[in-house]
Amino acid sequence: MRGLVRFFSALLALAVAAAGVLLVLEVAWRWARPGAAPLLVPWPAWRASLSELTWTSMAVQVTALVVAVVGLVLLIVASTARSRDVRLHDPATEVSVTTSPRSLARLVGQHVRAQDNVTGATVTASARKVRVRALSRLETEQQLRPRLTESVALFLGDLPLTQRPKISVVVDSPKDRR
Amino acid sequence: MSKPVSVAAQSRSQRTERVLTFAAGLVLLAAGALALVVASGALGEFRAQRPVLDPVALDWLGRQQQALVRGVAIAAGVALFAFGLWWFVRSLRPEGRPDIELDREPGRGVTVTSTAITDAVEADAEAIEGISRARARSVGDTEHPALRLHLWLREGSDLRHVWHELDTQVLARARESLGVPVLPTAVRLELGSGRRQRVR
Repeated sequence: MRGLVRFFSALLALAVAAAGVLLVLEVAWRWARPGAAPLLVPWPAWRASLSELTWTSMAVQVTALVVAVVGLVLLIVASTARSRDVRLHDPATEVSVTTSPRSLARLVGQHVRAQDNVTGATVTASARKVRVRALSRLETEQQLRPRLTESVALFLGDLPLTQRPKISVVVDSPKDRR
Repeated sequence: MSKPVSVAAQSRSQRTERVLTFAAGLVLLAAGALALVVASGALGEFRAQRPVLDPVALDWLGRQQQALVRGVAIAAGVALFAFGLWWFVRSLRPEGRPDIELDREPGRGVTVTSTAITDAVEADAEAIEGISRARARSVGDTEHPALRLHLWLREGSDLRHVWHELDTQVLARARESLGVPVLPTAVRLELGSGRRQRVR
């Protein structure tokens, strides 16, 4: 989303600058030659059609809806572009350390897969929460979950994270389906 | 604003772009929603039946001094253009790589070029056991230069060991060679990537 914000931001900036230029050009042109046709934007035609369209007309409502949706998309893009880095403790003054959520997830995944009776695992992580979904053929969820949760908690406790993420472990086991 | 330089150096700030994009989104959403509200008749059936470009408003505008209206319009256009251009350049300009000025006294200025320091730090960092790749660059501006260090750690490498080595070897040497007590540094770690290598 961070790249997207830069893209939209540049696009909006260009639109604002272009609108400013067109406004100056049209007004100055009209001022200099009151009778002449407009320079670039056919605004008298727009004025004529806007004077006929009422608020209830379909064209106005559709345009309003499109504008509102575009606005909503921009709001969502701008507010989800936060940095999601996971902060680690500063090893020295004026040295800050972060890692990516993906790195943290990869690390936890490697740890979980190295545990006994774990066939596979998928992990998603953020600074606040680590979600583990483990697959086990040999143990049931009842047996494995407490052990995994504790082991992941210990493992995370060993990492110099500034914020302890919450841990949620789900075990997917064929034994539970019998 | 009170963020330490080392934290600010973690990644390029997008605050201005985000705030402006958010504001633009808010304006568009409000305008669209308002138009829909007017159309729904919530502000009166009469209002909903009026033309979008209301003759009353046009009459009012026509009765104003023409020179004033045009002057205001041109000033607004120039302001929009200047703002838009500033915003555009800001959005697209690449992140700077400032040189580090050690001594600013006229006649005795000492400047370390950005690549000189980053190459040295990269080589030092890659020498640490457990680090498979290191990339360094200078960030910030000449007033507040900082170092951004991107490190890829091998799977299974001991984080605490790397931590210690990083501070005592790499960064200490960089500080020493630059002769500065503190060198704001942002370290970005990529963990558990690359070849499998047990260090246990």
